[in-house]
Amino acid sequence: MGPECQVMGLFTDEERAASAVQALEETPWQLKQVHSPIPSHKLSEALNLKKSKVGYFTLVGGIIGFFSGFALAMFTAAKWSLIVGGKPVIALVPFVIVGFEFTILFAVFGNVIGLLIQGGLPDFKGMEIYDPRCSGDHFGVLAACPEIEKGQLINYFKEKGGVTRVFES
Amino acid sequence: MLSLKNKRLVILGIALIAIGFLAFIIQVAGSHPERAWQAYLINFLLWSAIAQGGLLFSVIMHLTKAKWCGPLTNVSEVFAAFFPISFALFLILFLGKAHVFPWQHMDLHGKEVWLNVPFLFFRDGVALLILYGLGFTYLFYALQLKAIGAATGGRLRSFLDQKMGINPDVTRIHQRMSIFSVLYALAFAGVLSLIGYDLVMALDPHWISTLFGAYQFVKAFYVGLGGMIILASALYLTQGDSTGLTTTHFHNLGKLFFAFCLLWADFFYVQLVVIWYGNIPEETAYVIERTMVPPWNFLAWVVFIVAFVLPFFILLNKNVKTKPKFMMVLSAVILVGIWLEHLLLVGPALSHGSRSLPLGLWDGLITLGFLGLMIFAVVYFLDEFPELKRFQPAVEKR
Repeated sequence: MGPECQVMGLFTDEERAASAVQALEETPWQLKQVHSPIPSHKLSEALNLKKSKVGYFTLVGGIIGFFSGFALAMFTAAKWSLIVGGKPVIALVPFVIVGFEFTILFAVFGNVIGLLIQGGLPDFKGMEIYDPRCSGDHFGVLAACPEIEKGQLINYFKEKGGVTRVFES
Repeated sequence: MLSLKNKRLVILGIALIAIGFLAFIIQVAGSHPERAWQAYLINFLLWSAIAQGGLLFSVIMHLTKAKWCGPLTNVSEVFAAFFPISFALFLILFLGKAHVFPWQHMDLHGKEVWLNVPFLFFRDGVALLILYGLGFTYLFYALQLKAIGAATGGRLRSFLDQKMGINPDVTRIHQRMSIFSVLYALAFAGVLSLIGYDLVMALDPHWISTLFGAYQFVKAFYVGLGGMIILASALYLTQGDSTGLTTTHFHNLGKLFFAFCLLWADFFYVQLVVIWYGNIPEETAYVIERTMVPPWNFLAWVVFIVAFVLPFFILLNKNVKTKPKFMMVLSAVILVGIWLEHLLLVGPALSHGSRSLPLGLWDGLITLGFLGLMIFAVVYFLDEFPELKRFQPAVEKR
């Protein structure tokens, strides 16, 4: 194996980008990344991704939040244990509101944290291999191949109807 | 097949109605007529709410210009067939006035102006007539877009076909539908609040909760969606894809059901927390009797678990919502839970001071009779309008 090089095929058409992604599986080259300017169902189908695990982060966050909310309300009430209107200091009925709000707040936190962890963010290195056109109207499909096969990979993307850009490593 | 031509279904329906009717008669003639009328009141409220809430779905879909519902609006509209029965049941309630209005012999401290039997029956009867009239008018226009020139020979159908004409003006019908859907939605909130105040809250005449009406109509939509899930599943399981129903429809309907499960519990909590904070004896007595004192405290927990906790955790899951068979069972369980919730609301007032739960086999048998009536209404309507069983996109606005 010679030194590796990475080639990005840039497509203006969603269908073509998706078919290029799909067909890459039957070639010896390795699919590295796909950049899309829009959330695309066709591309996620072509990539055959596993179900996202972000939901579990949200669930765990929500459960933690539910109990933290009650705990916070109980803790603060116990710190200032003044009986008002004959009601118990630690009363579950009004604490439901705090518990409910914390469930939502922590579920949101869990969701964002899950998104960052699962997406591998922040990713400063990823920006080195990036084409600004992918933030405009192009779909970028990045694949890696040995240096000697560079021409073949470029031709593959051209056949699929895209323009290419080579990233030397 | 859901049709009157299906003999087994007809026999089942007639048997259910007969069982319910006999059970009711035996109870009324027996030593505890108040128990029969208690079961009757609960069933009248519950089954009417299913019908009223069921039609509300179609109305809301029209108002919000929703497209995701597809053939689900058909399922929703079928429930309007119970309206005449519901009104007749309301009139029959008059016969039980001695048993369902415990405030008749109480000192009401000036509330007599509002709480007296003639005025109550007059205003509630008029209110129901308005609600059902608006519902039927909406339905009349909605059906025109779905049932064009495919007469089935039924008497109701031929009469309506004459009224509808052959070439309806689609734009005009859409306008009329919009008007009557707004009116029905408003009447739904108003009339169900009134019924809730008069037939449920006022049984304990010294207790008031201003939110009680809203609690009632949110609950009505909750059970309406439950009924819809059962009927949609039954249609889908017997007729398959020709109904046009897909997994996505069941998923979305399940999500809406879940949302209204939460909203119902929310309305319960919102009332509870205000009463809890206020801590006024007139208000708290009602809640304490129902949630903290036996025998009712046990029932309160059963209701809370069956109608909220259980569906909440089950419906979090996406896959179960797409399984018609499972959702049918779950909805049925929740409807039983809401039946018990009605018992929790009216029971302590009607069976004052009872040591054990006023609940037994007879109540179940009477309920079966009402189930039979609902089955009969639904199947009759599906026979008159078989279009509602087959999906065809409604005529679009030009």
